[in-house]
Amino acid sequence: MAQLNILNKIYAAGPLILLYYLSISDVDANLENFLEIFSINLQLIIIYFWMIKRPGLMGTGHVFVVGLINDVVMGFPLGISSLSYLIVCFVGNYVRNKSVNTTLASDWVTFLIALLLSNLLFFSLINNFSDLVIPFAKIGYNTFFTLFLFPIFWFLFNIYQMSFIGSQDA
Amino acid sequence: MSVSRDDFSIAFRSALLQRGASQKFSIFSLIIIAVIIFFLDVYGFAVVKTARGVINDVVYRVSFLASTPKRIFPSLNSEIASHFNLKKENEELRKVIEKYKALELNLEYLTNENLNLKKVLNAENISNVSNIILAKVLVDRNSPFLKSIIVNKGSKEGIEKGMPVTKDNNLVGRVVETNYLSSRVLLLNDLNSRIPVTLDADNSQAILSGGGTTKPKLEYLPEGYEFTEDVNVFASGKDGIFIPGTPIGETTIDGEVDLFIDPNQLSFVTVILKKNEKKF
Repeated sequence: MAQLNILNKIYAAGPLILLYYLSISDVDANLENFLEIFSINLQLIIIYFWMIKRPGLMGTGHVFVVGLINDVVMGFPLGISSLSYLIVCFVGNYVRNKSVNTTLASDWVTFLIALLLSNLLFFSLINNFSDLVIPFAKIGYNTFFTLFLFPIFWFLFNIYQMSFIGSQDA
Repeated sequence: MSVSRDDFSIAFRSALLQRGASQKFSIFSLIIIAVIIFFLDVYGFAVVKTARGVINDVVYRVSFLASTPKRIFPSLNSEIASHFNLKKENEELRKVIEKYKALELNLEYLTNENLNLKKVLNAENISNVSNIILAKVLVDRNSPFLKSIIVNKGSKEGIEKGMPVTKDNNLVGRVVETNYLSSRVLLLNDLNSRIPVTLDADNSQAILSGGGTTKPKLEYLPEGYEFTEDVNVFASGKDGIFIPGTPIGETTIDGEVDLFIDPNQLSFVTVILKKNEKKF
């Protein structure tokens, strides 16, 4: 029984571990060798999905720390990724408060709002307050592919949730 | 109408301020902290700079460890494949050794000739190896926005911001951030990379601009310049940062430069400890 409990805790921590791993390792979701404009922000998908489905698994404090780590590894000004992730958390929280049951379609549409707000903030802060310059097209492609591939990860995370954590939504 | 506005404000406030059993911090307070950290970092407060340097060193080391599986699996795969090709490889290596033996004799002759010619020219040997540092790439995360790598040598070894970084004597980028035990190198294909270069027999001057893609572009060339393929591009050194004549790559017909060193395949690089003539 105790062993089962530990396993359940490990499964429940899975999304958070994945989030930390993606931020700290040099594993990335950019396939620019195959398609030069292709890049996705998997962290935003993970945060949004689990914020809507199981907010208990994705503490905002962890999201904040993950953002800081991501800034250090990527070389962005400290705090910018945290801000962008927290905006996604906020939209996810708001959607969860307002809706009783969510579907892929509703999650996809609301994710668009979260993604646009988050990337707009990222783009404006980095271009106006730091020495770095990132063209709008880069952010645009990233937003498009992240949004476009959201349903695939939605299904994958749903399968994970149903198989290892439990089918009941938050 | 007023009810729906109330609903909105309740949901909005709740999303910002609510704390649950597993949410120890409200999103609002974390957003405020993130904004403060951001502006402290951007405006370069000394305390934040020092703290950032320490955090960088720790995170880069952890990141290097966390990325171990990514490095190990491809090499394991190639090792297994090579195990099955040992006999064939052995024969090929024998041929290569024979070839190199012949080349070695030729090289010895050329070295002697070179030394004699230098004596004649009274030229001093400029290949001083004490001013270079071999550094291992810790992290080469492929960001969609920034192209940079983290190396395992920092200010402790005398690395300073702006120093050129090469591999096999070909330019790969420059140091843009130094910590005590690590440094960040901005690669030539980064969006923020601009390097004065020289090319072709007329010594045409241009700026090599990274675009975030694998091939940086040549800009500000003489008016009416026509691109031809396979023209070697070298650092002009006009910025006082890079060593003049350091090879970079070859031109393509589209005005891009095919870099001699693939920026995605760096494992060891050389930092040239050149005293900066410019302040950054």
